[in-house]
Amino acid sequence: MSSNQKGDLILEIKDLAVDVQGRRILDGLNLEVRAGEVHAIMGPNGAGKSTLAQLLAGRSSYEVKRGTVRYLGEDLLALPPEERARRGLFLGFQYPVEIPGVNNVYLLKAALNVRRRQQGLPEVDAFDFLGLVRDKMRLMQMDDSFLSRGVNEGFSGGEKKRNEILQMTVLEPTLAVLDETDSGLDIDALKVVANGVNSLRRDDRAIVLVTHYQRLLDHIIPDRVHVLAAGKILKSGDRNLALELERRGYDWVRHEASAA
Amino acid sequence: MSAAPSSSTPLARLATAQTALGGSAAANARRSAALERLLVLGLPTIRDEPWKYTNLRLLGSRDLAPAAARPVAADALAVLPPREGPTVVFVDGAFNAGLSSDRLPAGVLVTPLARVLAGEVPAALLPRLGATDAIDDRIRLLNASLLADGAVLGFSADCAADQAVHVVHLASGGGAYPRLVVSLSAGVNARLVEYHLTTTEADSVAAPVTDISLEAGARLEHYSVTLIGARAIQLEDVAVRVGADADYRHRHLALGGQLARLDLRVRLEGPGASTQLAGLLIAERSHQIDVRTRVDHAAPHTTSDQVYRGVANDRGRGSYDGKVVVHVGAAKSDSRQSSRNLILSAQATLDSRPQLEINTDDVKCSHGATTGALDEQMLFYLLARGLDRDTARALLTFAFAEDVISKFAIAPLRRFAEERVLGSLPAGALIRDFVA
Repeated sequence: MSSNQKGDLILEIKDLAVDVQGRRILDGLNLEVRAGEVHAIMGPNGAGKSTLAQLLAGRSSYEVKRGTVRYLGEDLLALPPEERARRGLFLGFQYPVEIPGVNNVYLLKAALNVRRRQQGLPEVDAFDFLGLVRDKMRLMQMDDSFLSRGVNEGFSGGEKKRNEILQMTVLEPTLAVLDETDSGLDIDALKVVANGVNSLRRDDRAIVLVTHYQRLLDHIIPDRVHVLAAGKILKSGDRNLALELERRGYDWVRHEASAA
Repeated sequence: MSAAPSSSTPLARLATAQTALGGSAAANARRSAALERLLVLGLPTIRDEPWKYTNLRLLGSRDLAPAAARPVAADALAVLPPREGPTVVFVDGAFNAGLSSDRLPAGVLVTPLARVLAGEVPAALLPRLGATDAIDDRIRLLNASLLADGAVLGFSADCAADQAVHVVHLASGGGAYPRLVVSLSAGVNARLVEYHLTTTEADSVAAPVTDISLEAGARLEHYSVTLIGARAIQLEDVAVRVGADADYRHRHLALGGQLARLDLRVRLEGPGASTQLAGLLIAERSHQIDVRTRVDHAAPHTTSDQVYRGVANDRGRGSYDGKVVVHVGAAKSDSRQSSRNLILSAQATLDSRPQLEINTDDVKCSHGATTGALDEQMLFYLLARGLDRDTARALLTFAFAEDVISKFAIAPLRRFAEERVLGSLPAGALIRDFVA
């Protein structure tokens, strides 16, 4: 599938500054993510976590003022969103939209096939595809009714998040960016979602979890934890940093950074 | 009689056209009276409130006289989806026995209107023609002025599952003024599917009128599918009376036409009467498609639900103008109106005007209307899954149309409608697999 070796650079962000509606949201952000790693980006509300996630997926209403983003060695910002997806970048949305009338499974099949075409693989036929999706649905503890429904149509908050992870496990991305996937989940759903994410951990892939709370990281153990505040990564560490944040909040990081 | 206004010049010529129509003396007298009234009133203009969005000026340059009989290709119905149940065909407004089914299911009676007008079959039917015409209803007057054929359709037993009576109107050029009179006996469950098609790209004008009455507890699913050419003008007028606990459903799909307009009036006359109206119009190129509905809640415990969707592309234009009137005494009435428009090009226009007039307390009424482009959030979601922009746009447009098409309960007709919608969408071919 992918020719990445553990440790290869997947995502490299240098000195990134981004405006949203004339307001500076990201300002001097640096980040490196390598194959085989799981990163958690944490931070207070309004720190720019979602802006970063959406920007990586190609949201067009954001203005990049400075800096570079390289994905698999290429200039990511020069690629349209659909091209990023086809090259294996997956965004798990914080608020997945409902698209009544567009069938959940057809969308998933179309998404898989454009990705396979990009990889030079033959398209999957309907039969094989259904088998694949059923396997993944079992993993995500989703029942068959999801197959026939419109995209996220009438789904509860938790169902929407499960559906995002289902899509991810079927598409097998090289880089998955999961934006607040844990928000609005009860503890059982959180475990299911974490299972789905963990099933995707592999030496040739990378996962970036954007989250406000530590609790997701009890189930998905990150290799690196970053604090995003005031538009940049203020502090990085291992999973112990997340535990410390849980205990002490975010303010001390900001104070420490301004003192430095 | 006073001098007719200038817009009536093509109308004035209709007196000559009338003399060529057959029928009894009584039928002739009715036509003359209708034309006389129409000459006084003239055709509607955009200054007439109900015609605000429909400019009939282009009728002035058309020959409104009924079309001369023309042969029609034997495969003229081949474009239609498979049909369960009989098909009754009118060519330019005249009943065509050759294309029509020769057998009817038990409990369905079809009487060609020409025979009624000629006085051959119960003369008692004649007064019922036009019983619902208002004195100043000019499209109905136009129809009544030139009425030569149509059908009286009576349902006295249920349609079998998946069966319907199909009425196909073919326009080959010139004028067509058929009338359908449909009645359902108490408790009867029936389906009626009307197609309006053009067989040529010639100029045509059609003013088909349909009168429907449902006795207590009857249920009718009524489909109207309009697929007409770029030089066709169609002014369709449907009036429905719904008795106690009866249920009337109208499903409308309109594509094409220089001008296609539907006037649909539903009167909920008996307590517990209900209606569901749903329509999809797709105006492309320079087509204009207007829908006007009026629902009268004239009895207590009546419900109405309207779902209208419009899509306009290129220089297409369209409108939904829907009025709900809750009359005095119609307590516990429940009315919903939803109108949404999708505009796909800068030159296209769609208007929406849901209106509500409530004359009694203790009712539940809601209405909403939106007009806009495709939802950017939905578009981004699909792009972020790797779909290309054309496919994503086509999918979202189709999904928009599905709000209405999904209400087509007859499966072959629904697939046919979906095919037509796909065919009309930019990049519709890209998403065929999604809806297969």
